[in-house]
Amino acid sequence: MNRRSIILLVSLLVCSGNAIANESVALKKIELDQSPDTVRQGAHIAMQVCTLCHDLKYIKYSNLLQIGYSQEQVDALRGDRKMSDTIKASMAPAAQEHHFGMIPPDLSLMAKARKGGADYIYSLLTSYHAKEPGHIDNHAFPGLRMPDVLNYTVYTEPEERKQIEHKAQQVARFLEWAADPHADQRRQMGYYVMAYLLLLSFMLYLLKRKVWRNIH
Amino acid sequence: MNKLIQWIDQRFPLTFFIKHELTEYPVPRNLSYWWNFGSLAAFVLVIQLITGIFLAMHYKADAATAFQSVEHIMRDVNYGWLIRYMHSTGASFFFIVIYIHMARTLYYGSYRAPRELMWWTGQGLLLLLMATAFMGYLLPWGQMSYWGAQVITNLFGATPIIGDQIVIWLRGDFSVGDATLTRFFALHYLFPFIIVAAVVIHMVALHMVRSSNPSGINLAAKDNIPFHPYYTIKDLYGLALFLLVYCYFVFFSPNTFIEADNYIPANPMQTPAHIVPEWYFLPFYAILRAIPDLLGGVVAMGLSVVIFAAMPYLDRSKIPGGARYRPAYRALFYIFCIDILVLSYVGIMPPEGNLIAIGQVATFVYFALFCLLPFLSKTEERWLMRRGLPQPVLDLIAEEEKQRAQRSKKQ
Amino acid sequence: MAHDISEKNDAPDDHDRRHFLETATTVVAGCGLAAASWPFIASMNPSTDVLSKATTEVDLRGIRPGEVRTVEWQGKPVFVLHRTDKQIDEVRQSQGGKDPQDDATRVAVPQWLVVVGICTHLGCVPGRREEGWMCPCHGSVYDNSGRILSGPAPANLTKPPYFFVNESRILIGKDKA
Repeated sequence: MNRRSIILLVSLLVCSGNAIANESVALKKIELDQSPDTVRQGAHIAMQVCTLCHDLKYIKYSNLLQIGYSQEQVDALRGDRKMSDTIKASMAPAAQEHHFGMIPPDLSLMAKARKGGADYIYSLLTSYHAKEPGHIDNHAFPGLRMPDVLNYTVYTEPEERKQIEHKAQQVARFLEWAADPHADQRRQMGYYVMAYLLLLSFMLYLLKRKVWRNIH
Repeated sequence: MNKLIQWIDQRFPLTFFIKHELTEYPVPRNLSYWWNFGSLAAFVLVIQLITGIFLAMHYKADAATAFQSVEHIMRDVNYGWLIRYMHSTGASFFFIVIYIHMARTLYYGSYRAPRELMWWTGQGLLLLLMATAFMGYLLPWGQMSYWGAQVITNLFGATPIIGDQIVIWLRGDFSVGDATLTRFFALHYLFPFIIVAAVVIHMVALHMVRSSNPSGINLAAKDNIPFHPYYTIKDLYGLALFLLVYCYFVFFSPNTFIEADNYIPANPMQTPAHIVPEWYFLPFYAILRAIPDLLGGVVAMGLSVVIFAAMPYLDRSKIPGGARYRPAYRALFYIFCIDILVLSYVGIMPPEGNLIAIGQVATFVYFALFCLLPFLSKTEERWLMRRGLPQPVLDLIAEEEKQRAQRSKKQ
Repeated sequence: MAHDISEKNDAPDDHDRRHFLETATTVVAGCGLAAASWPFIASMNPSTDVLSKATTEVDLRGIRPGEVRTVEWQGKPVFVLHRTDKQIDEVRQSQGGKDPQDDATRVAVPQWLVVVGICTHLGCVPGRREEGWMCPCHGSVYDNSGRILSGPAPANLTKPPYFFVNESRILIGKDKA
């Protein structure tokens, strides 16, 4: 039917447009574990590893309580800083410039600011390889200035690699949360809204048919 | 309650107005669901107005804090994330609804006499909507916001002699900056209310010439039915279906319509690899890029938006209505739709290789269709008359001629 | 009981079924509208960053004896007074006025008075006087322990929860760490 093929064409265009406009980077796809523990575990790793160089300027210490940190754990992390302070990189800007030639980007929105989101983050962390001895590069992002922070190139046994990949997933999940802390609430609400609208549409359909019966 | 209404009615045409313009207002009985999109557009306008005002309670229109204030809305404001996503999704759905509404008008010939003014007020509404959307997109102050505004405001520099001064005047600065952001916020807040006024004018025109219908021919009075309850319930039903699609995107895929690059704060020192306008501007953007000369491209782009206004005069066929009884017109319509899709694709891709030529061909086709229409419509009319139209259509043509004669006699 | 012309040809049973459907649909739609309006109303409530300002830290260094500093806690003014020995002696000589209280129960250490600077009458911020405070709105007078001495205010100035983090720093908003 003419109309249907048009609608199909349009949807194909929208989808392909999105996919094609991607950078030509081969991203590894992962299914993230949606359990709340994963977010917290990712946060632990992020606080130990990532925040050495990266800011999380839209995450406050108080936000960590929402993902399962206890008050004591947060107090241990923040030291002198206030609960309402945001999470800053440990490295001073001058040192960052010196080591990397740039300030490492803020991570709060990284899962939304890159096409592929969590896939992007996971791929980046697990694509390091030893190009030549002593020179480490990244398959997915050649020339990347960020070092191999999860030591992917150091641990080459499959068991150890699995553990690192697991960690990378947890970090990706945490950053996904950091970029959109209300995502779970949004989807929950969405289920109720869609159910309600289905009910309402059905009732309005019945009513419309009833009203129009005489005309037809 | 009735006493109160009586008291008002003696001083204000309340009941009269509601009866005459709403509940008892005559509408053709054979309108299809393609006629729902006008009321849907009004509904989306209301959604945008309400979500927009509540966003404005928290948003800061200052280059230093704008991006941060949007994150504040997303993270700290109660249900701020919901209001923000409703507004960003609503903008895209506004254009989806309007483009379908326009397609309906083109397909069924609803722009033809005596509905030219409806078509032109609609054109005006489209321009207002595009301006509003363009200014609104700058407000989050992301990379795409900033550079999209930089590129488009640059276009005004193509104006001969005073081009550069116009650009600086528009921006309030040498390049897009805080001054631009503040004024775009002021205007983005204002324009929707101008749109509301223009919608009222659009409706006043409608209530004089009345709705067209799928046959394209003005029906006899006996074939009308009152707006209430028939079209109130049909519009409500259509609205519920619309909400299903809209809410799916709001709750489960809100970032479909937000460019990833826009989650990076604006950096005047670094342009993103691909500057891409929002999807609803893509065909026009492709036409802009298709012409190698800057002024030529700007003129072509402007023309591509306003050329629709000429439709009542380009279509010269005596055969009433739009595509229903006219196979050649229908073919042109579908070719046009495919051309729009091709242009959209060209617009979203970087202008390299084959795409440049494809974009130029598609641009040529775009304008060629409009230019062909005067000749094609007449040729088609002669061919159809010779081949013989079904008697009911001939009757309707005769009826239409009579009504047209009556209209010119009244003048 | 026909509402509109579309019901002209309905059978009586149809009428009732349709009115039931009309009513039911209206109720469902109404609930949806009410539910949909809630997020907008709620968005006007204080956001989480505003709510989290539950505590305020005050550095006491730099407040000289006899000097009072007004700090903000949860959006309210709080008077932090560094009392001289003379002032301490004066307030310890009495129980105050119409709301008798021992000064010792109103301070953690005698040298520092920390009270919410909102008059307990109708909420104005009292102005500083040598002997304490006086509210410009209706003339309530408080002493250097924040106790109401005269005027229409019914109670002493409120003592907020606070504690000494160390010798020179207090945290207002919590009783202890």
